[in-house]
Amino acid sequence: MKNRLKVLRAERNWTQAQLADALDVSRQTINAIETGKFDPSLPLAFRAARLFGLRIEEIFHDPALDKDHSSLAAEIKKDT
Amino acid sequence: MNQLRPPESGYQSRIRTNIIGLARWGGAWVAATALMKFGPPFLWNKALVFTLLAVGLNVAVGVGMILANKKYVAELDELQRKVYLNALAVTVGVALIAGVPYQVMDQYHVIPFHADISHLLILMSLTFVVSLLYGTWRYR
Repeated sequence: MKNRLKVLRAERNWTQAQLADALDVSRQTINAIETGKFDPSLPLAFRAARLFGLRIEEIFHDPALDKDHSSLAAEIKKDT
Repeated sequence: MNQLRPPESGYQSRIRTNIIGLARWGGAWVAATALMKFGPPFLWNKALVFTLLAVGLNVAVGVGMILANKKYVAELDELQRKVYLNALAVTVGVALIAGVPYQVMDQYHVIPFHADISHLLILMSLTFVVSLLYGTWRYR
């Protein structure tokens, strides 16, 4: 799972500790999510989305889904 | 920026409070265990009533420690809880696969000393600490 947490945080000049506190988690958890070592649960993803005023898919996305969409598009193109 | 609380006002302070509570219960349990172990020969000359009271105190404080630990784990965030539960799983597994052969080796005199429960407790403590440190390092 990839995410834009680090970018969104940097845009607002927040530290990891401040973001962690706003999301009620540890700084280690924010760091692990930003570096892609840990995928957050759905409730935590919702909290992050609410905090940044974005939809979940605007923060988190699964590269495997992109691949699925590409192959689906290729199949549709082949059929037509 | 304004909507953010100052650092360490929420999660960190709550976890710190829980750790302090857990440490107090842990210390009380160690003290109650020492009283139960050394009280009979050194303090009350093996009087049955006092020994039973010491055992009761030990169990009661032990229950308090379990509840404090339960509260601590419940209030960890999802990553910290994952690391903690992984460490617990490894610890239980090691205790099981080491404890039974250790007892069998004592039974058939493979080892030149008696299998003591304290050896298993030391192994479990070390396993838990190493697993916890590894988990913390892995997600650092």
